[in-house]
Amino acid sequence: MSGNAAVASAIFGVFMLLTVALGLLAVRGHGRGGGLTEWSVGGRSLGTVFIWVLMAGEGYTSFSYLGAAGWGYNYGAPVLYVVAYLSCGYAIGYVVGPTLWAYARRHGLVSITDMVAHRYGRPWVGALVAVLATVCLLPYIQLQITGMGVVVSTISYGAISLNWAYFIAFAVTTTFVVVSGLRGSAWVSVLKDVLVIGTLGFLAVYVPLHYFGGYGPFLDRMVAEKPAWLTFSGHGGSGMGGGWFVTTSFLNSLTVVIFPTTVAGYLGARNADALRRNAILLPFYNVLLFVPMLLGMAAIFVVPGLTGAGSNLALFKLVVDSLPAWAVGVIGVAGALSSIVPMAVFMLVIGTMWGRSVLGAIPRLAQRPERQTAAARIVVVGAGALALLLTYTAPNTLVRLSLISYEGMAQLVPMILLGLMWRRLTLWGALSGLVVGGALVCALVFTEHDPVWGVNAGALALVANVLVALAVSWWGPRPGPAEAARPDDEVLARDPGRDPEPADAPAGGVVSGRG
Amino acid sequence: MLKKRPHLLWLLGPYVLYLAALPLADRVHPTVLGLPFLFFWLLLATLLTPVAVFLAWRGDRARGRA
Repeated sequence: MSGNAAVASAIFGVFMLLTVALGLLAVRGHGRGGGLTEWSVGGRSLGTVFIWVLMAGEGYTSFSYLGAAGWGYNYGAPVLYVVAYLSCGYAIGYVVGPTLWAYARRHGLVSITDMVAHRYGRPWVGALVAVLATVCLLPYIQLQITGMGVVVSTISYGAISLNWAYFIAFAVTTTFVVVSGLRGSAWVSVLKDVLVIGTLGFLAVYVPLHYFGGYGPFLDRMVAEKPAWLTFSGHGGSGMGGGWFVTTSFLNSLTVVIFPTTVAGYLGARNADALRRNAILLPFYNVLLFVPMLLGMAAIFVVPGLTGAGSNLALFKLVVDSLPAWAVGVIGVAGALSSIVPMAVFMLVIGTMWGRSVLGAIPRLAQRPERQTAAARIVVVGAGALALLLTYTAPNTLVRLSLISYEGMAQLVPMILLGLMWRRLTLWGALSGLVVGGALVCALVFTEHDPVWGVNAGALALVANVLVALAVSWWGPRPGPAEAARPDDEVLARDPGRDPEPADAPAGGVVSGRG
Repeated sequence: MLKKRPHLLWLLGPYVLYLAALPLADRVHPTVLGLPFLFFWLLLATLLTPVAVFLAWRGDRARGRA
């Protein structure tokens, strides 16, 4: 192992130990009692700051380091859809967050599938949605595992092999998620955000200065030599024009507010106002997304000729090329934590959905919350192990699935958002819409018709989904008398308005996650 | 909801800035502080999004809703 490799690997190793320690320490004083609510949603006790780091931590994944730089390198402008949809989604989260939070708190629910089961009064619908959501989430876990593998093997100058890096990703994440759940993820997010903000802030200044003598010359060169990257539809005939950008950003902005991991963050909040403050503060984090994209475009000049998966390393090539080993190690840790935190929340959410909505629907487990919690933890290990196994043995299976992940999850929007606001949407309406929307997404994506007519295929499917859901709700089967007799307050969700002022919640809301 | 809380319309601000205004902003020139216009515009939208959400929140505060 060369000197550089030793230094960078040592820094990486120390930080991984620190991550596990931090994740495990988070549970101190909260370990006993509380059950699934404590583990899955942090006992609903996180203040504005913890919610902010957690949700920023989920949104800023290894994609931001690898994919955003790679898209910037290959195409340019289209990658900005990430900024657009997150900003729009965070803004409507101002209403959706408190609404879902209040609904879950009032009825003692711990996940999005739990809410669906409650809304439609049928546990099996919750189980069905949990299975569908898991199919959409598993590819994300694998993407984080492979993302972290690539980062770690690059920043260790090849000293840590891909296969070991995959395993480290799985082992570190599973250890603290199983023990400390959402609270552990929030604590690790703090470390992650400090490193991400610090290293990206540094790179944003350093790279243009080092390679181009400042932003002025870099941008001038970009405008003069690479204008194709600077407007839609980007460089290289990507097919991602303005129409694709608008429909994708719109669709994803609706999807992100009901994405099971986002909802886990919402439900962890101690009160509705923590979520509203968070909705104001969270969009600031998106400024950071411009950095890897700009660095990806800088790499066009510095390391030309990257193709395929290689372009995903655009950012890290610059880093390894221009910085000493210890700095490479620290930036690599920031990249690795950007895999670990989202992966932790993905696994946690899968565990929660299965523990409560799938296994909880089995009569023997239905009235045994402590068994549901144990089952949830076993599912976490199982889901992580499955993703790891598929990464080793059949890496392409999940990559194919990941193509439909986001657009597939979007098909749950009518069932959840519309369903919680509008009483007349029936179970059969929501299900029919889901089936039609889901089938259309699969058909278009797997036949490589996405985008279709310059429009995001998932958005088109969502339109069909909503139309079918409305039609079947109007003309289809009516809900039975028991269902119709439930009062609106029991079935629908609404924005809770002003929080009551409990003595233990100071007005600032900026307190630690200990509740 | 919007009848009682019209200030929530501020939350559509980012949709207008990022999506509705895109056809006007999809251009390289004029550059602003060296930034190609599209990038300048989207950066501006990113900085204005928190302001829009803040205005919604302030509206709620003024009406004693949040």
